[in-house]
Amino acid sequence: MVDPEIFKKRIEEKISQDYNIEFLGKNFNHIVNSLSEIKAEKMYAWVDDVFNEKIRPIVIASKKSYGEWVVNQLLTFRYQFSMGNTEYRILFVKVKNSIYIEFHLGDHKYYDKVRKDLNLR
Amino acid sequence: MIIYNPHNERIVKERIEKAEQILNQIPAKHCFITGSFLYKENYKDIDIFVITRSKKKFKLNKKKAKITIIDFNNLHSLFYHSISKSCIAKNILPKKSLKVTISDYWSIINEAVPTLLNEKNKYHKNVRFLILYTEYFKTNNILDTFQLNKKIEEFKSYKEILKYIEETIPPIMNQKIKSSYLKKFFYTQAGVYKDVLQYDAQRFLYQLSHKITRGTFHG
Repeated sequence: MVDPEIFKKRIEEKISQDYNIEFLGKNFNHIVNSLSEIKAEKMYAWVDDVFNEKIRPIVIASKKSYGEWVVNQLLTFRYQFSMGNTEYRILFVKVKNSIYIEFHLGDHKYYDKVRKDLNLR
Repeated sequence: MIIYNPHNERIVKERIEKAEQILNQIPAKHCFITGSFLYKENYKDIDIFVITRSKKKFKLNKKKAKITIIDFNNLHSLFYHSISKSCIAKNILPKKSLKVTISDYWSIINEAVPTLLNEKNKYHKNVRFLILYTEYFKTNNILDTFQLNKKIEEFKSYKEILKYIEETIPPIMNQKIKSSYLKKFFYTQAGVYKDVLQYDAQRFLYQLSHKITRGTFHG
């Protein structure tokens, strides 16, 4: 069992920036609560790898707006994991050569909604 | 029960009956089973697809059962045409003409390359769309799940898939897209990759975009 507040804090510490990243997702806290420590540690390590540019992002050439940004300004990092029979995804969104803005965590249904906003497949 | 098997692949005999039992437990008119459950003695999942407008969840008392819902609006997709080509279905499956664009295809490539480089040799699940689309545009043939698995198994490593992308995709793009649109489309793509060349995936896509616009291929 992982405390959602600690989970968020650990991620914020890893990306160390002044801008407040948004943690989003239907059932975000419930999903984090259900994570094992091992799964959470793997996610922190993945965030480290994203920060150190070891994970490759998806970049979309679209002029569609996304909040106050445009999709082609964003880098999206995707992480997939499963618990029981359910698959979950993390979408970690960064502005090119700048700040991290969003950390999405949800099941397939939630992912489907966010991926459409970000013009992902 | 309908068995779709256009290439007369060997279906494991006892699975036909099991598939029928499973499909009869699903309260939907259009449902089918495809994949390794039908063809392999040892299978990982039972891939079940249900075509429905309903939002209700379907549950089965089978640990390996993996149910995917397909919306009626998605029946024109290459994915549906592929999975429904060889399968066991409860009833005759609905068909819609195939609609697939080059722009869809590039979106697949654009996401497959970083995923492939992140996953390295754990690529098998993540390259299915890439291979399906590439083989479709290359040969005009829609691979069914059995053929697709066989094609993926031909690759020995992720590096072989990168080589396949480099060699196969530029001629396809040049054949399928008008020269003026091709240049405009791929210069736009290259422009977006240019800002993030510190990542090998985007470097690869940048070089691929340029190779496509140059339009000269060997071999």
